[in-house]
Amino acid sequence: MLTPKTADGFRNNRVGPVLRASGITEGVIEAAEEDNPGKDIRVDDKVAYVRIDTEGELVLRRATLERTLGRPFRMSELEVNLASFAGRIETTDDYVRFYYEKTL
Amino acid sequence: MALLERAEWYDIARATNWTPTYVTDSELFPDVMSGAQGVSAEKWEVYDEPYKTSYPEYVRVQREKDAGAYSVKAALERSRMFENADPGWLSILKSHYGAIALGEYAAMSAEARMARFGRAPGMRNMATFGMLDENRHAQLQLYFPHEHCPKDRQFDWAHKAYHSNEWGAIAARHAFDDLFLARSATDIAVMLTFAFETGFTNMQFLGLAADAAETGDFTFSSLISSIQTDESRHAQIGGPALQVLITNGRKAEAQKLVDMAIARAWRIFSLLTGPAMDYYTPLEHRKQSFKEFMQEWIVGQFERSLIDLGLDLPWYWDKMIAEFEYQHHAYHLGVWFWRPTVWWNPAAGMTPDCRDWLEEKYPGWNDTFGKCWDVIIDNLLAGKPELTLPETLPIVCNMNQLPICAIPGKGWNVQDYPLDYNGRSYHFNSEIDRWIFQQDPVRYRDHMTVVDRFLAGQIQPANLAGALLYMDLAPGEIGSDAHQYAWVEAYRNTPRNKRIA
Repeated sequence: MLTPKTADGFRNNRVGPVLRASGITEGVIEAAEEDNPGKDIRVDDKVAYVRIDTEGELVLRRATLERTLGRPFRMSELEVNLASFAGRIETTDDYVRFYYEKTL
Repeated sequence: MALLERAEWYDIARATNWTPTYVTDSELFPDVMSGAQGVSAEKWEVYDEPYKTSYPEYVRVQREKDAGAYSVKAALERSRMFENADPGWLSILKSHYGAIALGEYAAMSAEARMARFGRAPGMRNMATFGMLDENRHAQLQLYFPHEHCPKDRQFDWAHKAYHSNEWGAIAARHAFDDLFLARSATDIAVMLTFAFETGFTNMQFLGLAADAAETGDFTFSSLISSIQTDESRHAQIGGPALQVLITNGRKAEAQKLVDMAIARAWRIFSLLTGPAMDYYTPLEHRKQSFKEFMQEWIVGQFERSLIDLGLDLPWYWDKMIAEFEYQHHAYHLGVWFWRPTVWWNPAAGMTPDCRDWLEEKYPGWNDTFGKCWDVIIDNLLAGKPELTLPETLPIVCNMNQLPICAIPGKGWNVQDYPLDYNGRSYHFNSEIDRWIFQQDPVRYRDHMTVVDRFLAGQIQPANLAGALLYMDLAPGEIGSDAHQYAWVEAYRNTPRNKRIA
């Protein structure tokens, strides 16, 4: 019943936010695509939460979010809906970055 | 007046170490409380919390989170969710609140220990917020079920469970005492925030939120996913602590703490979250199987983070992955069978369609766990429900405090992993549980499982009635089949060989 595939599931480099159901999800997806040019942004919608990820590094900029959401946005506001995230996180006033230091 | 950006003042505001003059450094930060593992204060100062917040930001953000959770509750209060929900779903709510709410208070104490005794200023800073977070979680998860108490007193166990000697409460206390209430600040950072919160709480608070949304219980879905946004922040206390330990030659010690914590967390979640996802949630509302959620959150996300920090997979990785296939099925069977001893009504989750789903998600289920359920079904069809109720005691693991159980039927692998220590025989569910005991036998040796207490004559009268009295389960609280066996009717005119599609 056991498959090697399950045990090896950690061999991935996908990073990014997991948002709870909220009004900012679409704006964050749009910003993720804009702030990470050339990257394939994957969106996995589980209704209660939406996993947004890409390979290696994903950046979300405040200025971009303000444009995609159409309103002023403090970077710390992301926390209201940031239920989880894959990768490490760097939090600043102007951007949030999800990343891994090692590539598997 | 223009305010400075956080980055412009954060580092200097965080620098709260000083040289004590009235007491020695070791009196201010006793090792038993700080758990610095011999790493000097200066070396801990490089600790840099990655998920930063300031007090004004914290208050603003938390206010918005609370406003959201409480307004969803208020808006849906007249939705008749309680009256309309499947009984299996209500059982999930009862088991969740009882198992979690007061555990959050324990976590608040643990965060407070980091806030006071954390060796790094950044750890103390973030743990102060973490302490406030956990207080919020305890209060929310006592307040939300409270409205249901007048209708169903099993909801009273949201507050009562941890004050009782109910076996699940003993197991939860044993695990949480070990993971964070009886640990140093550094151990808490690694075991609670990193292993438990970065890893496993996602299963119950997001995985189950997905099932809640499918079920239409948006109050619960919104509540638990809101709680997880706090966890997501303060769980980051652990990562930089691990980096300080690894950089200063303490990788082996850090790895051991992580390995113990993952093993203990896995048992608790396979008991609590496993049956909820694969049996109690009505079939049509299941978003993924428990195993699939484990693959997503624990294997794909958490273990990947662990590797990135410079740790290795736990030594028992393959054994734990193998348990994904069966351990929670075994716990579910046991909880349903010993149903009078829990504060919720276990849903069998055993219609023919449910069994097809289980077989699809866990190939071989019908030949193993299905064999036990066949006997239960035969007894219920024969009008002998008394044969589906417990008359004997299980063997309980001296580490996880849960019955020793594994795969029944074809593929039988149930085995005791015994250990003689100082003249007492201990019994364990697996090599992993026994290994945890062996890391610090003095810590664990004197604890008595609920069955040890029974055999020692502490539970009187020595029968099920005495056990229920000991567990403080009153009439109206004692668990029974969630659907009052209605599901058995689907098998009444179906020959055994047709049960399996």
